[in-house]
Amino acid sequence: MSERAIEVEGLIKRFGPKVAVDALSFGVGTGECFGLIGPNGAGKTTTFSILCGFLSATGGTARVLGRDPFRPGALKGKVGVLPQDALLPPSDRVGALLTYFARLSALANPEAEARAALERVGLEASWEAKAGALSHGMAKRVSLAQALMGTPPVVLLDEPTAGLDPKVAAQVRQIIRDMRGRQTVVVSSHNLQELEELCDAAAILDHGRSVQSGSMAELTAQSAEFRIQIARGEVPLDAVRAAPGCVQAALDGGWLVVRFNSQVVAAEDAISQTLGLLLASQVKVLAVSRGRRLEERVLELT
Amino acid sequence: MESIREIRAVLAMELRRALKSGRVIVLLALYSMFSLLVLFVVGGVSSKIREGGGVDAAGGAVALRDRLLGFLFSDDPAMLDALRDIPMVVLIVFQAALLFLPLYVAIMGFDQISGEVGPRSMRYLAVRARRSSVLFGKVAAQAVLLWGLLGVVHLAVFAYAGGTDPDFTLRLAIPTGLKFWLASAVFCLAYLGLTAACSTLFRTPAMSLTCNALVLFAFPLLNFLGSVNTASPTEKGPLSYLGYLSPSHYALDLLHPYLSRFGLSAAALAGFVALFLGIAYGVLRERDL
Repeated sequence: MSERAIEVEGLIKRFGPKVAVDALSFGVGTGECFGLIGPNGAGKTTTFSILCGFLSATGGTARVLGRDPFRPGALKGKVGVLPQDALLPPSDRVGALLTYFARLSALANPEAEARAALERVGLEASWEAKAGALSHGMAKRVSLAQALMGTPPVVLLDEPTAGLDPKVAAQVRQIIRDMRGRQTVVVSSHNLQELEELCDAAAILDHGRSVQSGSMAELTAQSAEFRIQIARGEVPLDAVRAAPGCVQAALDGGWLVVRFNSQVVAAEDAISQTLGLLLASQVKVLAVSRGRRLEERVLELT
Repeated sequence: MESIREIRAVLAMELRRALKSGRVIVLLALYSMFSLLVLFVVGGVSSKIREGGGVDAAGGAVALRDRLLGFLFSDDPAMLDALRDIPMVVLIVFQAALLFLPLYVAIMGFDQISGEVGPRSMRYLAVRARRSSVLFGKVAAQAVLLWGLLGVVHLAVFAYAGGTDPDFTLRLAIPTGLKFWLASAVFCLAYLGLTAACSTLFRTPAMSLTCNALVLFAFPLLNFLGSVNTASPTEKGPLSYLGYLSPSHYALDLLHPYLSRFGLSAAALAGFVALFLGIAYGVLRERDL
């Protein structure tokens, strides 16, 4: 595992009697893309806000690049943030606003940084537009642009594609993909397919607690489960169950779901031997997929 | 050093916003209309007194002026002497402005922090600048703007006084104008601090303004309670000290000819500034954005 860019240990946040985050712990490796997953009220945005230094923790610790995010000036120039529901000052022009943000971040050439970031989100034509006149999607992209300015080592994105049309959402996902390996990215989102596609690792939260965290492969059980979509034919379930390393095999709708012990058999061997058994039994196969969908895992856990 | 750079960036942006928005024009118009109203009323009364003519009438006018000065400013002979050569219209506009300015400052800056915390645009700033820099940058912008407005209005009032009173020469008008502008500027700082404190206490600008207005009403009340509880200069009731809790209590001594009296008032007002800005910073530093 790479060195930790973000470390959260026993984090607690209370709002009066309500416990929003309850002894939460997880870590994000440097250069990793990490997802914060969970239903509404799970504590994602609260955790995110603590990592950004917007909220103080009631207990436990949160460290971003080894610093306490709530300490004054701790994140300056180190972290880019796309906050959820934060409005841009409506009477400011986009260019002037981004230049102002770049100047506050002490970037060397504020205007050039602002122009480059705006171009990256495809809004270079909106330099002179007033922030209040932008559509929701455009405002979101301007907000994303300010998070990208100066290529900070850590980027925290809260619902980066919410409210965007599919084309722009795909562009944003590409921007996030481009950051992988070069910057540490934390994405909080309800779009599980997006997170599954983008993230190396994630924490699944529910009622302020981490119900599971780990690599995406671990979360989706990629190294312990696979599914084969059956078109037609009689599945030799007993033979599949008797194969080396097989822990469980069952039919679920049109799918054969096989769980195996990865300590005994490698995933590729387990899949190959099962496919061999099916083909030998004249079973016609439509598709093979490793692990479970993240969505299923989240629904199972929360 | 980094904090100063941040404050400078916030100050520049806030000034730019203010000058581009209509608020500065509206505020200047408001202050100018208020000053004009006082000028016309006082100017009219003064010219009627002067038109009365005759040695007796002139002597009566001087006596009336001294009584008025004693009522408006102080019975302190040194103070009366220092104000004797200044046109009455200037003195009354200044005195009226002391009542008006706190409200004016509140209208000007009530939403400086709450207007950013409510819609969470503060989050864009907090991640790249210290909260203290945001606060002090905004307060500095308010101060610069207010001092500029005060300068414009003082210039107009002194020009009017110079034009209507032949004894009020340029040689007298320039140092007096600077002194009055400086006194107003120092006085306003305490209320700028108060407005900043009220603005950090709430997430909604309307609540900030309401809180500010309540405190502004409380200050004259404290002053009043203090004054009615003072039976004589040597015998003070327990409530007489309440007046010291209001920044306005120290305003008039900012014009006092003795440096010690001016210094004491300026120090007291500086104490209020430190207190209010300390509250503002403490609240903003700890609050969830």
